[in-house]
Amino acid sequence: MKEIGSIRAEEMVLNIGPQHPSTHGVLRLKVKTDGEIVSEVIPIIGYLHRCFEKHAENITYEQVIPFTDRCDYIASMNNNFGFVVAMEELMDIKVPERVEYIRVIMAELNRIASHLLALGVYGLDIGAFTPFLHMFRDRERILDIFELTCGARLLYNYMWVGGVSHDLPRNFETICIDFLDYFEPNIPEFNQLLTTNKIFIERTADVGVMPAEVAISYGVSGPNLRGSGVKWDVRKDEPYSVYDKFDFEIPVGTGDHGTLGDCWDRYWVRMLEMQESCNIIRQALKAIPDNGDVHAMVPKKIRPPKGSIYRRTESPRGDLGYYIISDGSPTPFRLKMRSPALTSLSVLDEISAGWMISDVIAILGSLDIVLGEIDR
Amino acid sequence: MTADQEKFIADVVEKALAGDMDAINSIEDRSVRAKAKASLVKAKRAAKAQQKSDAPAESDSPNQQETAETQSPLSILLNSTYPDEIIEVLDEGKTIQLHPKQWNEIATFLRDHPEALLDQMECLTGVDLGTEDALQVRYNLHSMKHRHKIEIRINTNRDKPEIPSVETIWRMTDWFEREAYDMYGIVFTNHRDLRRLLCPEDWEGWPLRKDYEEPETYHGIMVPKVKEGWE
Repeated sequence: MKEIGSIRAEEMVLNIGPQHPSTHGVLRLKVKTDGEIVSEVIPIIGYLHRCFEKHAENITYEQVIPFTDRCDYIASMNNNFGFVVAMEELMDIKVPERVEYIRVIMAELNRIASHLLALGVYGLDIGAFTPFLHMFRDRERILDIFELTCGARLLYNYMWVGGVSHDLPRNFETICIDFLDYFEPNIPEFNQLLTTNKIFIERTADVGVMPAEVAISYGVSGPNLRGSGVKWDVRKDEPYSVYDKFDFEIPVGTGDHGTLGDCWDRYWVRMLEMQESCNIIRQALKAIPDNGDVHAMVPKKIRPPKGSIYRRTESPRGDLGYYIISDGSPTPFRLKMRSPALTSLSVLDEISAGWMISDVIAILGSLDIVLGEIDR
Repeated sequence: MTADQEKFIADVVEKALAGDMDAINSIEDRSVRAKAKASLVKAKRAAKAQQKSDAPAESDSPNQQETAETQSPLSILLNSTYPDEIIEVLDEGKTIQLHPKQWNEIATFLRDHPEALLDQMECLTGVDLGTEDALQVRYNLHSMKHRHKIEIRINTNRDKPEIPSVETIWRMTDWFEREAYDMYGIVFTNHRDLRRLLCPEDWEGWPLRKDYEEPETYHGIMVPKVKEGWE
């Protein structure tokens, strides 16, 4: 790579986006190139800015939950989850055990759906069309389960402070087990289609290497951080809800096909995580209490005590944190959402300098960003 | 409510307080069940208030309380190295309020000192406290090695808000400081690229400040007003 880079040509600025299929939303990249070698990438964001934090100061706590749905619209369950966990810790509410299990099952199903979309679209970015169709077919089945549970396919408003909106449908367990039995054998099929595909490996291995120190300094988290070989998962290291009761592995990147922390490692961690999520769902379905109330006793109008809290949870994209400051009134005094995709995007310039333009698309895809969450 | 009912509800509430929630959940009549739940909440609240009023009597002398407040190892470490920079230690040493002057130096110390090693910035939050000395930035720090956390708070005034940037120390704060600048107008001195992040470059005012008033037009386009009666 260096040999080509040493021949200098006139610098050119290439504009990618804001409307571009490879930018996963409305993102503009200003790419400084020298020939075809990229020297600097400047992301320009804010096209989807909807003033989430300003809105939140004018509405009640219950009304904030549908807004969190719309931040990361690929993994809305996990966004709800993060918010209610922070709220319940602030208000010191203990929710019924059944609710905790329902929440974990939903969050893990949504994690699989989110990773399926991330991996399928990643294949599409690289030029593989088939895996995308296979993964969307399976994602659709998960969305059907959500529709059955709460009536919505993408924006659920399912988890409430102190409970969930509806109890599970009567035959939920069989439907869920059916899905897992159908889905788990498909994972080796994905591997045949994409993971071990020679072209895919050539395009992703050794590309966009993110060393662990860089990842930590940039606040990168979730599968991107684990792809760099750091064994860190909020579900294991700062357990919330009932995650401490499950037995699951934290997959980390190993650099099987290239250097540790390259695009292939980040991709592979997501693939392994889907299997771990299946394991968690199976354990949760076994351990869930058969019946019981799905609402803790929470007053109609939520008024948390004065104080502040920062709590982070593991969303499919990484550490999703909420900083809530309450002044004792029914509306938040300040609500900050620490978005995992924002930190993942900020590292793009650091790891894509020196690569070709087509590699920048591969690196951007491997970071799995959602612009709704970046711009809020 | 009849006297019979009242006695019945008192009974189940007593059972529920002892941990048997089924007693309430199994009530057939919905209105009776709701009444039972309401009285349970009341009973619980009364018990909590009782506990609170009991608590001060049980606590030790004020002197011992003070040592308990500074117990966190990180706050002790900071106190021994930069005693003049600390304004206040809150929340049993989990939260520390600092003067802005030497923040850059303290930040380097917190990241590199072998006992601290706070290498991960979890979150950076700008806050408008709504008072005279109004704006505040809160830094949530975490160490990947020691697995401990601390929250740093730094105040600055509303008219000339300035805080030293730590963008070179934790690279993550680069964009988060830009966001705080965008929303509150806090100037992070020595930041290499302090521009607006989410709002357009030529937007006027600092949207998340409590005294913010949105402009009437932007490039000749009407800015929609906040609709009344949303609550």
